[in-house]
Parts: sequence; structure tokens; C-alpha cells
Amino acid sequence: MPDEYNQKNTPLEAQSSETMSGSSGSTTDIDYVRPAEVPEQDLYHGHSFITKWVFCQDAKVIGIQYFLTAVFTGIVGLILSWLMRLQLGFPELVPFITAEHYYQFVTMHGMIMIVYFLTALFLGGFGNYLVPLMVGARDMVFPYVNMVSFWMFFIAVCVLMASFFVPGGPTGAGWTLYPPQAILPGSPGSGIGIILMLVSLSLFVIGFTMGGLNYLITILQARTRGMTLMRMPLTIWGIFTATALAMLAFPALLVSCIMMTLDKVLETSFFMPAIIQAGEVLDYGGGSPVLFQHLFWFFGHPEVYIVALPAFGIVSDLISVHARKNIFGYRMMVWAIVGIGALSFFVWAHHMYVSGMNPWFGFFFATTTLIIAVPTALKVYNWIITLFKANIRMNTVMLFCLGFIVTFVNGGITGIFLGNVAVDIPLSDTYFVIAHFHMVMGIAPLMVIMGAVYHWFPLVTGRMLNERLGKWHFWFTFLGAYSIYFPMHYLGFIGVPRRYFEMYDSPYVTSATGLNEFITVAALIVGISQFIFIYNIITSLKMGKPAGKNPWKANSLEWLTHEVPPTHGNWGENLPVVHRWPYDFNVPGAKEDYITQTTAPSEVLGAEVEKT
Amino acid sequence: MSKFFKNLFGALSDKPWDKEQMAIDNYHQGKTFDISNQTSAVIVIFGVSTVLFSLVVTGYLYSVPVGQDTSYLLKPNLLWLNTLVLLFVTYFFNKVTKSLKKNNTDNVKNNLIIVGFLSYVFLFGQLFFWLQLMKSGNYVSTNNYFSSFYIFTALHGLHLLGGLFFWGIVFSKVRKAEQTQIISQKKSIEALSLYWTFLLIVWVMFFLIMYVFNDTVVAWCRALLS
Repeated sequence: MPDEYNQKNTPLEAQSSETMSGSSGSTTDIDYVRPAEVPEQDLYHGHSFITKWVFCQDAKVIGIQYFLTAVFTGIVGLILSWLMRLQLGFPELVPFITAEHYYQFVTMHGMIMIVYFLTALFLGGFGNYLVPLMVGARDMVFPYVNMVSFWMFFIAVCVLMASFFVPGGPTGAGWTLYPPQAILPGSPGSGIGIILMLVSLSLFVIGFTMGGLNYLITILQARTRGMTLMRMPLTIWGIFTATALAMLAFPALLVSCIMMTLDKVLETSFFMPAIIQAGEVLDYGGGSPVLFQHLFWFFGHPEVYIVALPAFGIVSDLISVHARKNIFGYRMMVWAIVGIGALSFFVWAHHMYVSGMNPWFGFFFATTTLIIAVPTALKVYNWIITLFKANIRMNTVMLFCLGFIVTFVNGGITGIFLGNVAVDIPLSDTYFVIAHFHMVMGIAPLMVIMGAVYHWFPLVTGRMLNERLGKWHFWFTFLGAYSIYFPMHYLGFIGVPRRYFEMYDSPYVTSATGLNEFITVAALIVGISQFIFIYNIITSLKMGKPAGKNPWKANSLEWLTHEVPPTHGNWGENLPVVHRWPYDFNVPGAKEDYITQTTAPSEVLGAEVEKT
Repeated sequence: MSKFFKNLFGALSDKPWDKEQMAIDNYHQGKTFDISNQTSAVIVIFGVSTVLFSLVVTGYLYSVPVGQDTSYLLKPNLLWLNTLVLLFVTYFFNKVTKSLKKNNTDNVKNNLIIVGFLSYVFLFGQLFFWLQLMKSGNYVSTNNYFSSFYIFTALHGLHLLGGLFFWGIVFSKVRKAEQTQIISQKKSIEALSLYWTFLLIVWVMFFLIMYVFNDTVVAWCRALLS
């Protein structure tokens, strides 16, 4: 472990109100920065192919490894969604989609997309790549642990995928894995399938904790000189808060996985009440299935924000850069991120309104759910006000940002419907819920991921993605996603239940058949259009326009490395020194419309940010 | 503590675009807290594991077992002895950190050996207690009390094993080291010491809630639920 800080020689005099009090120092030299007091981090430089690209300790390579593995699982999840939609739109068209298989597809699609795709991609992928670069560090503080983190994730994915090939197949208990049915015969994959799922999730949590440890400590303790907390880009604030949430929420998932594994393997009864199955009294008794629901959603709800907060942070930066304007209400944005993070631990039971809870309990959770909408709405207003009268560049990145705002507002408003007990109960377990959460935590974060890939691809590869293909990709994805999920709200209102394999000749059929067919066709088109994106990435890797340094004219540190793409260690001989926040766009008096974070005050003497 | 919160919330109210604030911010060294990375890591693990252990206990109390048979546990047994061993481990770890401050290399080495040895004694004691429990017919699936008991002690043991892994790394460096090199391990040793203190706190909470005052806690929970 690198030993960074020599306490003996460095009495920390104070820098901002963030650390201990002391003199702020007075000097007439406006460019003055404190001399470096922290010794350089020792990095392990790999020389062979294996140490450079496989068991690599460079956070950027680990980020790319996370990204590619997550995208692979995402494609599996996408294919599963096609199979589900085929059955729903055109029942019994594909003979091998039986009811059992359908439930397995539903379960694996949900778990893959939420945990192994979105979480891994935002925190493992973007987190690893961007955190050291954006805070001005050479790498994560514990690079070896960081490497182990990825390989744990990789093994977790392998175990999960292995469950497709075991007798009985993967679990089909729904992504919530509610006991007792998840581990009892009768549910698909209730044998080895569910055990592999639980083991895989446990490995994921352990691996993530190692990564999370790195993100938190790197952000708190390993920033470069001049980089105060309030000079960090919002991307870092989003990743930081989401990681903190994950570190506190994932233990709940781990505990429930361990307990359910024991229930299955050793016949304990943590979640199992006394059960009679086919006339036979089982050995279980005394446990509570509702306890699992509490544990699961104590993880499950913060999980929504673990996905959403990095998306909020990233989209704020993308909007600011591509609208050439400082983000409106930076401090409010930070407070909102932190506030949403804290509140997200007090809303979990709104997923359990139909579990027979005490009405006062429901009242409490409905109230907290509506309160969390306040900081969330504040962020939406701030994004819109940032765009107001801005010098907007209508490129692919901006299109995805705008797509995000629209989708997120849409999903957020339906969330307010569902947050109220009285409205939720009739809508519970209908397609309205499917539409809501796919809009708010499926499509909205995906829009950000895609915008972020178009934005940072030049940094990672040194080449630009093709704009024309990007715009086609955007319009297919945006309009297609709306074609899929907008009609689902209506399906929910007329009462079409979710998780049903087939409607047979129920009264819903007449009004829902046409829409279901339409949704399926749209889903197939949207899925296929993602291959435009993949094609764009593959061809641009070799043939894309060379990006050069800082092609978007952004301010944050990741664009200011000596080499593009940045090499191991990120910075040349010296770490960058930060003189300002990353949102100095179109500052009156400045020559250019942007001032990078490393620009010293003397280089932009006439420029002065207006008082806010 | 109030200073800590003042610093924390004070930082969140900084206006980074203000000229006056910029002048102050330029002096910032890049660290938020004046602690080593190793200690920071232990504090983060502290947070994560506290949630983990709390949820196991909460889960136990949520489904308070009806008519649990814990009579076997009420007899004087190894748990008291194991608790004592763990207290001694913390005591000797304190001696390590004190010796470190006085630069007493030999004491550091010797006390580190005792710490490792006693930790393994604790682990074997726990295993032995498990065997005793199983011999008396109390398995992990016997009732929810024992399920929670086994899972909690297993998780605590795994945490201790994880700590011992890092203890091994640090000790192998310290064993051969001269005085100056031991000082370079100071932060790792201090972090380990903090980790062991955390493990003791977790154990004492468990010992009080699920063993010494188990019946009182269960009765209180029942009253609360009804």
C-alpha cells in the first residue's frame, strides 16, 4: 500500500473550510499554490500483455474491462427482453418460449440490467475511468484491490451466466427473488439456478465493496492540489454519493443472499414460514418472507439512486460543456445529490404497499417518497435553466442529454403517482409500473450512458465517433423507447397485469393485443438500432476522425492530460494544479469561451465570473 | 464532533466561483481528512460491516422466535472465555501502538505475535464452541436463534480472518525490519489496531444482545411489536 502522507513534516494548515481551521495564507502572487506535500504514489507498471491488459492495476484499463463486461451482460439482457416481447406480442409464435422459460427470461433480464449492467457500468466503468482523472490523481489509492474488484465482478458474471446451462436453468422467481417460492420446487430454476444467482450476487457485492472503497478514498483523500470538494465536477459528486449509498445498501443484499442460500441448502428458516407442500409438511417454520422483502428493498431502493446519481452527475457535466454555460446552481446540485442519497434510505417500503403493511407505515413511506421528489425536481429545473439562453451545440451528446431530461421527467411524474398508497394499490403489478421504472431507471440512465460514451470516446480512444450515425442512433433509441413504454402506461390503466406469460382469452385481450404487437415490433427495432452504436464504435476505433486534445473544449481535468488517450499514471512528471471550478464557460472578459481548471488566474486577468 | 460537522457542512456551502473563495481554495492540499489511506479504508469497512452486522441482528429480532430453546446456551460456556480472549487481543494491540509511539521495536514485534496468536485462539475457541453446540443437538437449522447465532459468529470470524490476512502481510514485513522500517509500517499497524477495536465492539454488541441479555431484548421486542 502506498504511504502517502507524512504527518510528521506536514502540519496541515488550512485550505478551505473543508479541513481544519487555520490561516488561509496571504500572498500577493495570485498564482500561488502550496508546494506539494504529498509524496508521489508508487505505481506498478505492467510490462507483459497479461499485466497490462488482463490483470492490470491501471484504473483506466479496469474501467474499460468493467465497461465491456457490463455491455456484454447488457446485450444478453437485451436479447432476453426480445424473447419476452415476442411472447407477449405474438403468443406461442416461438415454440421454445414456455411459461417456465418466460419467467426465467424476466428474472434474468431484470437482475442483469439493474445490477450487472447499469451499476457495474456507471460505477465500475465510468467510476474507474473518470475518478482518478477528474480529481487529478495518478490512480486509485489501492490499485491492487481495484484489480481484484474487477475480477470478482467477472467471476460473478461467469457464475450468473453458468446458471443458463445447469439442469433446471436459471431462477425464474422474478428479479426480486421473493421467498418462499424462489427456493421451492414449482418455481423454475429453484434448484441450482437460484443458488448460482445468490452466489453470484454475493460475489458481486464483495467485489463491489473493494471497488467502492477505492472510489471513496480516492475522492476524499487523493485529490490534487487546489481541488476542494466544491471544485469537483458533478460527475464525481454523483459517483461519490452513489458509491456511499452502495456501500451501505449492498450489505442488505449480501445478508439476504446468505440467508436465502442457507434456507435453501441447510434448511434454515430465515424467510420460510411453516409450509405444507403437496400434502407434505416441510421442515421449515418460524421465518418471515416479509423480512426478505424489507432487506431486499432496503438494498433495492437505494439501488435506484446508485444508478441514477452518477447519471445525474454525468448529465450535468455534459449539459454544461455542450451548452457552453456554467451549471445553474452548482451548490444546489451538490446538496440535491447528497440529499437524495440520504433520503433514499427512508423510502424502501413504497415497494411493499401491497404486502399488508400497517396503514401508518404506508403513510410514512408515501410522505418520504414525495419529499425525495423535491431535490430531484430541483435538479431538473437546474438542467433546464442551464440550457436557457445557452450557446447550445446540438450534437449527439446534447441530444442524448435532452432525451434524458424528457424521459426522466416522464418517469419521475409517474413515480409520484405510484408513491401514493391509494393510487399505487390499483396500479400495483400492472404495466404502469413497468412503464414507470423503465422510463426512470432504464431509458433515462441509458440515455446518459450513451451521451457519456459519445462525450468521452475521444478521450479513451483518441478518435471521434461518427456524428451522423450517432444522430440516427439517438432518434431510433429515443422515439423507439417512447413507442415501447408510452403505450404501457395505458396498458397499466386498463389493468393488464405484469409477469403474466399469456393473457389467453381474458377481457384485456381485445384492447391490448394490437398495442402489445406494436410494442414488440418497436422493441425489436430499438434493440437492433443499438447495433448502429456498436458498429459506430468499432469503425470509429480505427477510422474515426482524430480527436486531438480536448475536442469539446471542456474544463475538467480528464481532458488536460499530456497524452490523449492518457497513459498509466495519467499525468506527466507533475500532477496538475487546480485553480478554479470546472464550469468557467463564457466568462465575461476571457478570450476563449472556456477556462480550464488548471488555468492560472494570471493567464485570464480580465475574466471575472459574475456574482451569483 | 460539532467541529467535524461544521467543517463538513461548511465545505458544502463554499462558493467555488467567488474570487475570495478561489484564493482560499488555491491553498488546498487535496486531502479531506488528516488520516492515512489505510485508516480511511478501515473506517469505510467499519461502516459497511456495521450495516451488515446490524441487519443480521435486525433480521433476528424481526422474526423473534417463539419458544426458542436456548437453555443450553445459558450454562457457563466458552463464549465468556472467547470474549475475554478478544479483550486481551485489543489490550495487546493497544500495547503495540503505544510501543510504536515510543519506537520500541522489540515490543512491537512481540506484542504483534501475541495479537496474532490470541486471535487464532479466539477463532479456534469459536470453532470448538460450534462443535459443542452441534454435539448438544443445536444446529444451524434448529431454530431461528441458532441460525442467527451461527451466521453472526461466522461473519465475525470471517472478518477476523480477513484482518489476520493483513496482519500476516504487516507482520512478515515487521519481523525482518529494522527500527526505521517499522516506522514505515506505522500507519498499517494503526489501521489494523482500529480494525481489531471495531471487531471487539461488534462482538460485545452481539454478546450482549444475543447472549447475555437475549431474553430481555426479546421480551422488549415482543412488547414493541404487540
